[in-house]
This record gives sequence, structure tokens and C-alpha cells, in this order.
Amino acid sequence: MAGAISRRKVAEYTAERLLAGDKDILTQLAAYLVQTRKVRTLELVVRDIEAALAERGVLVADVRSAHDLTASIKRELTAFLADTTGAKTVQLRESIDPTLIGGVQVETPSATLDTTIKHKLQQLKAAKQ
Amino acid sequence: MAELSVNELSQDLRNAIANLQGKEGLEEAGVVVRVGDGVAWVHGLKNAGYSEVLEIESEKGTVEAFALNLMEDEIGAVLLGDENFVKAGATVRLKGELLTVPVGEELLGRVVDPLGRPLDGGPAIKTKQRGLVEREAIGVMGRKSVHEPLMTGIMSIDAMFPIGRGQRELIIGDRQTGKTAIAVDTMINQARQKSGVVNVYVAIGQKLSKIARLVERLKEEGVMEQTIIVATSPSDAASLLYIAPYAGTAMGEYFRDNSQHALMVYDDLTKHAVAYRQMSLLLRRPPGREAYPGDVFYLHSRLLERSAKLSDELGAGSLTALPIIETQAGDISAYIPTNVISITDGQIFMETDLFYQGIRPAISAGLSVSRVGGAAQTKAVKGVSGNLKLGLSQFRELASFAQFGSDLDAETKSQIDRGQRLTELLKQPQYQPMGIWEQVASIVAVSSGAFDEVQPEKITEAKQALLAKLWKEAKKDMQTLNKGGKPTDELMQLLTDTAKAVSRAYEGA
Repeated sequence: MAGAISRRKVAEYTAERLLAGDKDILTQLAAYLVQTRKVRTLELVVRDIEAALAERGVLVADVRSAHDLTASIKRELTAFLADTTGAKTVQLRESIDPTLIGGVQVETPSATLDTTIKHKLQQLKAAKQ
Repeated sequence: MAELSVNELSQDLRNAIANLQGKEGLEEAGVVVRVGDGVAWVHGLKNAGYSEVLEIESEKGTVEAFALNLMEDEIGAVLLGDENFVKAGATVRLKGELLTVPVGEELLGRVVDPLGRPLDGGPAIKTKQRGLVEREAIGVMGRKSVHEPLMTGIMSIDAMFPIGRGQRELIIGDRQTGKTAIAVDTMINQARQKSGVVNVYVAIGQKLSKIARLVERLKEEGVMEQTIIVATSPSDAASLLYIAPYAGTAMGEYFRDNSQHALMVYDDLTKHAVAYRQMSLLLRRPPGREAYPGDVFYLHSRLLERSAKLSDELGAGSLTALPIIETQAGDISAYIPTNVISITDGQIFMETDLFYQGIRPAISAGLSVSRVGGAAQTKAVKGVSGNLKLGLSQFRELASFAQFGSDLDAETKSQIDRGQRLTELLKQPQYQPMGIWEQVASIVAVSSGAFDEVQPEKITEAKQALLAKLWKEAKKDMQTLNKGGKPTDELMQLLTDTAKAVSRAYEGA
């Protein structure tokens, strides 16, 4: 019996096939997850695939902010991410969350940048304790 | 001179600031996937190092953990804080450093937890330095052989199994045989004899009531000013029990590295091994013998290897260790006891039978040994205690024969008589460590035969009378003797004569 394949290996293979333009890979991955009863780890597999893609120069970043971001801020953000992570293409997945009060929260597969007022307030609160 | 372009300067400055912010801003982060039983499994953080500190965000500020399992898909980290605040999905960051604890003189007289936080209700501890919890032991060239005595104040140990500064001497025995008492008396003796040795007592999973009693006692005896207590209770997380001895050693090493002397008491390493077993099993490491993980030997060997006598170039400081191991029904061939026996430079074996016969401290003369202490024994005690150990072991063997009540030849009988008196002599109440002169005078009284006519049950009384008389009549000589030098013939004669004089009052039934 072949040993279990690690999640990282599955993710790396999927990322490579995706970059090569293989459209069937997602169906195959779905079938693999169902057959090996790993559907519960779906979230983690997605994260691993994103991380594997980022290593290969395709960065998907979650951007959360309290208000809509202007085009110039998005441009700067994209340039900043491309610069710091060395990615060739950067895709932003935006979402609005008014509870952040202000600032922006960026999450890439392996790192975070939190400049929101909510985060700063939390830090202050924790420091006071 | 070229014209300075203000425009460019401002642009350069802006770029520099942007760079700084960029580096500071984008932090490597992971997420907690699962958490439970004091262990958090983290996804991400590919750059995490072994034993590196992780910071997990929670509603109540950050909770620290340290990474122990670095696997392909996830990291197993052991939580140092309250696991109730850590939730799945929480962000985890690298702290970029290994675990450290505050070290320094400021800790003296304090009761702290393994992270250096005060437990005695006193003010927060601010030290100038921090020490690494996991630190490599000093190398060969940095060491010197053990040569200075560490007086325990317990006559049977100082005479038969002497301990030197930098030695690791195991105290092993069943529960309730007086293991902790030996360690505590040794700590008290350091204050009584003003030896300047700093005590670090590490309580691993001890009942808090026991620790509170100990602290009270040490305060009464005036030992607390030169003592640090690192306390963990059975209700603490296994991770805290696991780091406690390493953290305590880091605090002791501060004194060792600053040309001072420190004494470590690890009470006890059996519980430490059990805490590590719990952590390892929860981290899903494969169990071995008695379900302990494969590296349980390394767990204790790397801890005890940090005890050392430093070379003169490094300041000649020392760190002596008295680890304690609890056995089950006297079985010293169980896994953890054999491990620690093989690591240490000797052991003091405590026997339940002796304890209940009233022979306290219940030290077994046959099974105890000190492998390096002989070179460090005080000249005064060494000069008089020559074949004490042999005599005592032979007596215990003969005594079991003699119980059959058969006729014995004169020689055997005298050996038994002497042995009985020796056994009585070596009985010593708790919290009463003896100085060098007291030990020498007592041993001389019995081994010279001066007390041969005193009934065994009156030996203790006679000994007290002898010591009182000597202190009254020859205080100067006793103070000289207490310095540890080899006693002169005149002094020996004085001791024997005084002992004979005292003996007369106690002769007869």
C-alpha cells in the first residue's frame, strides 16, 4: 500500500497543473478528496494551494477594509505586495468590514499586514492588561 | 560641490520610510487549526524554528506557545498560557526568539513560576538580564574537575558520600523516606555555614501547600535571602512543568557564570518525565518503554550536563545539582531511575525499612555512592571517616545474621557493638545540619572507641554533652577545626580525651 500523500504535495501538484492550464485538475482534486475522505480538510487544502501558487509567483491576497478602496490605493497595495513577496501577478480579493473602523488588513497565504484601527485598539487593550 | 537636490532627498527619505514600514508591516503568520489538551496545531509559518516562541492572538491579548513538532503540513506547539482563550482560526505569529527567563540577583528571596513571574505576591521582578531556558552545556575546556566540598551538614553524607561543588548527586527513594528533607537541610546548611552558595529549588508538580510550608521554613531559618524557588503545581499545564527545571537552571547558571556557586534542587524529575510523556503523547510522538518517548534520556542528560565546575579562566563558578527521583517499592531498576542514576555522579539511596526503624536520615550505606566527591571531601572529615562506610555496611550484614541469636565470637560481637553505636551516631534530626567540627568530634568519639562503654540508646545524649563541653572548653580549637583543615594530633588527642571524660557519665545500664 502506498503511504499517505501529504497535503503539501497534493497542493503543489495542483498548483503546477493550474498554472499549466489544466482545467480538469479541480475535478480530479475533488474526486481525490472525496475518495480519501479528506473533504473536511478542504479549507486547508485551498490555503496550501494558494501558498504553493504564491511560491510560483501568483499571489492571491485577501484585502479587508472598512470602506471601499480607491483605485490608487489598490495600485499601491498591488505594487507593495509584488515588491515584498516577489510575486509576478497579484490578485486582490476585496471585502468590506465596517467593524475594522479604518485602515486595511491584508492577508497573503503566508503573511499578514494589519493596519486597521480595530487591531490597534485590541493591541492597546491587551497591553493595558 | 554638487548642488544638493532637495527634491531627491525628500524622495529618498520617503522610499527609506516605505521600506522600513514594509519590512515591519508584512509579518509571517499562520492559523490555529486545532487546539486542545494544551497543544495547538498551526497551519502555515514555514519559517518557524524548533523550540521557537509563537504568539497566538486571542481576545485577552497574546498567548505564547513553543513549537516542538515541525511537520510537513503543520506545526505542533505547546501552549504556555491559558488554552481556553485560544480558538481555532486565531492568527499565529513568530516571536523570532527562543524561550528566555529573567535571571539575576533580583530573583533571590522570591518564589516565581517557570516564566519568571512572581507567585509570592511581591512586586514584579525587573532584571537586567534574561537567560535562555534551553542552553547548551559548557564544553570540556571550560570545565575543571570537582575539588571543593559542598557541605550538606548531614553527617552520614558528608562522611561517607561527600558532595563536591559542580557534582550531580541523585537523591533516590520511595515516597515518604525523607528525600526532600535532605535537600532542604543542605539548603539550610549553606546559610548556617555562610558558604555563600545560592540555592535554587525547583518544585515540579509539587502540592502548593508543601511549597508554602517550605517557604515558611526557609524564612524562619533565614535561608530565603539566598534562595530562589521555581514553583509549579499539579494544576499547571504540562508545558510549565516541562520547562521548570530548565528555567531554574538558567537562573542558577547566572551565578555559576559570575564566579559564584549555586545549588540546584530538582524536586522531582520523576514528575518531570511524566509531564514530558504527557506532552509527547499529545504531540503524537511514538511511545517507547513505559510509554515514555524515545528522547526521555536526553531530556534529563541535557539538563544535568549544565551543572559544572567552571575552569579558572571562566571564573571558577560552579553549579551543583541534587536531582530527586521517586521510586515505586524500592525498584531502582525502573526506566527513569536507571536513566538518571547513569547520568549523575552518584546517588543517595533512601530506604523505607531504615526510615521506619527510626534510622533517619534513612540512607542506605550499601547502595549509595559518590563517584567524584572523594576529591572534594573536607580534609578534617576525610581524616576521621576513613572506613566508616565499610564498617557500617558490614555491620548491617552481620546484624541480620546476629538476629538468629546464635553465639558470636568476640570480634564479630565488637563489630556489631561498634556498628550499633555508629548507627545511633549517624541519626540526625531534620533541620539540624551540623558544622565540620561537630561532625569530626562525633565521629572521633565513636571510631576511637571512647564511646564503647556508652549504651547505644544513650549515644545521642552523650554526643550532645560532648559537643556542648567542647564548645565551652575549647571554642578556639573548634573554630580552627571548622575551617576544614586536617586536625593536628594534639587536637585529636583533645577530642578523644574529652569524649572519654564525657563517656564516664553515661556508662552502665
